[in-house]
Amino acid sequence: MYRIRFHGRGGQGMKTASRILGTAFFLEGFEVQDAPRYGAERRGAPIFAYVRASRSPIHERGIIRHPDLVIVADDSLVPVPAAGVLAGVTGDTLLLISTTETAATWRDRLNLGDAVLTLPAPPEVEDRLELRFAGAACAGAAARLTGVISEASLEQALQEELAGLPAGVVEKNREKALEGYALMAAHEGRVKAGAKVSARAYSAPDWIDLAFEKARISAPAIHAALTSEKMPTGLWRTMRPVIDREHCKRCWWICSSSCPDGVIDIDAENHPRIDYEHCKGCLTCVTVCPSHAIRAVPEHQAVTAEETGA
Amino acid sequence: MTETLFKHMRDLPSSHLLGTGTPTCAGCGGLQALHQIYDVFGGKTVFVNAAGCMTLLSVYPFTPFRGSWLYTAMACAPAGAQGIRDALDILLEKGQISADEDLQTVVLTGDGAAYGMGLSATSSAIERGLDFIYLCYDNEGYGNTGQQYSEATPHAARTSTSKGPQGYPGNKKDLFSIWAAHKPRYVATVIGAEPLDLARKIEKAREMPGPRLIIALSPCPTGWDFSPDATTDIGRLAVRTGIWPLKEYENGKVVHTRIPRKRLPVEDYLKRQGRFSHLFEPVRKEALLAEIQGRVDAYWEGIEG
Ligand SMILES: Cc1ncc(C[n+]2csc(CCOP(=O)(O)OP(=O)(O)O)c2C)c(N)n1
Ligand code: SF4
Ligand code: SF4
Ligand code: SF4
Ligand SMILES: [Mg+2]
Repeated sequence: MYRIRFHGRGGQGMKTASRILGTAFFLEGFEVQDAPRYGAERRGAPIFAYVRASRSPIHERGIIRHPDLVIVADDSLVPVPAAGVLAGVTGDTLLLISTTETAATWRDRLNLGDAVLTLPAPPEVEDRLELRFAGAACAGAAARLTGVISEASLEQALQEELAGLPAGVVEKNREKALEGYALMAAHEGRVKAGAKVSARAYSAPDWIDLAFEKARISAPAIHAALTSEKMPTGLWRTMRPVIDREHCKRCWWICSSSCPDGVIDIDAENHPRIDYEHCKGCLTCVTVCPSHAIRAVPEHQAVTAEETGA
Repeated sequence: MTETLFKHMRDLPSSHLLGTGTPTCAGCGGLQALHQIYDVFGGKTVFVNAAGCMTLLSVYPFTPFRGSWLYTAMACAPAGAQGIRDALDILLEKGQISADEDLQTVVLTGDGAAYGMGLSATSSAIERGLDFIYLCYDNEGYGNTGQQYSEATPHAARTSTSKGPQGYPGNKKDLFSIWAAHKPRYVATVIGAEPLDLARKIEKAREMPGPRLIIALSPCPTGWDFSPDATTDIGRLAVRTGIWPLKEYENGKVVHTRIPRKRLPVEDYLKRQGRFSHLFEPVRKEALLAEIQGRVDAYWEGIEG
């Protein structure tokens, strides 16, 4: 059975990628499961979707714990623990990363040897959420890596899954999917289908057993205020708003009222401050500032600049 | 009229009470309005919340609130609010809580609940004179489940259940008038893109007894298909094109709190949103555009001086 996991951000088309790949497997006569991990996550948040495909009925359920292939549409997710890109990766897992860096760099960084392949990401795209066709490219690449999906099945699956979208959008996706498919020609069939796991060999994950308590104790009531602040939604950000203190007129803090998340407050000298731990990078503040004192910087650049002290 | 604390933009709060780290989409216009409203309400509130995007705010064990929160089924948040109000009143009467510990009871629902499933429960809560605030964030569709049409969806908008070339065939229900027809204490429309107007209305509502109902038009990048940085722009355009009239109902009268001096063409608002793109591409649908403009013009006739 093939167990394939796609990682990306909400908005990059991972759910579509899993559906295209799933349907392509199906067209090749496989039994298929494909599903996005369903949760409260929104645009920009790390998400994943998965596909299982087998020649015989699939009895496995739930998320894939040990994938045969992991596809990462947005390389900025690899170091984010919450994204779980490397979760359950074994010696047999192949990793495909869409990136502007080389495979050698990623092999060194992850210490995973030749189990790492790369798919060139468009370098001119500064904001990773603009990688609208990442899903199609990843689905195409994944199809080739399995070695059991023909180009025709990939195309047909894409047409079926994207039916109803404007013709131009479908065409662009098709182009990207075929490009991904072609780029992986040298690695055709590299993904090895994992063995079936028998129910007897199943070991439960590390559940936390909760004792059966009285409703007064065990009901999901929250007894503290503002616990949401424990969630670092700053990880969703692909572009970072940066306030230029020279240009900021310390107006009526239009940015502060407008910020949907309320993450801009005003310090004692009336300067606005952004809480980067929680700023989701919507860039509303950039568009509303009347003095154009807030600019948007690609997050990966901002992080590199921070790390090198630039 | 009582004095407002909010005379200028400068008087608006510059630090915010609602917790950060919530799972709503980047650029969510509903959260924008809610965080502004919360700054005025303060933490002594209990939100009674029907299923919808804002339910995500309090997913155990996380909450952005300082006060309390209760989850109800979609159609019955006002009934939940009645129970809470009654319980608080009993506790007050028995001296088990002090007046200082009392909470403002606020129903928080989307338009799906407010305009549709929950309308009957709201109607009877107003009829009973329930002392509560109803806050509807109106993103013009069932946002949380993938933007299916609701009774608040505007004419011709594309939703995941209205994909044809003409978009949604129905018309947005006039909930403001339906609520006002019940003669509650107060009804108002607000929008996060006009924070001063919003703050004044919420401040006013906060001090009143009885049923007070607020609708916040909530630009929704995900459901309306626009880039999240445009939330405020689109909100401002909704007001300046006259699509979203800012008004309040009190003592039997409706007053417009902001009459756009020179209304912009509705197109300026529509063309910024993917959900209306079929009105412009591949060919302009002149008849539909004229119909939408005509409705807005008819609304303002006799209102603008
Ligand atoms: C009776 C009932 N029907 C359907 C649902 C599923 N449901 C959950 S949220 C939601 C959408 C609610 O739309 P709205 O009130 O506009 O809030 P929004 O999601 O847009 O924030 C639906 C249909 C439900 N929870 N209860
Ligand atoms: S809106 Fe612009 S000028 Fe005004 S406080 Fe914010 S950054 Fe400064
Ligand atoms: S980008 Fe600006 S408006 Fe958006 S969350 Fe960050 S600080 Fe707030
Ligand atoms: S779908 Fe719309 S209303 Fe719901 S959280 Fe996202 S932006 Fe907000
Ligand atoms: Mg809604």
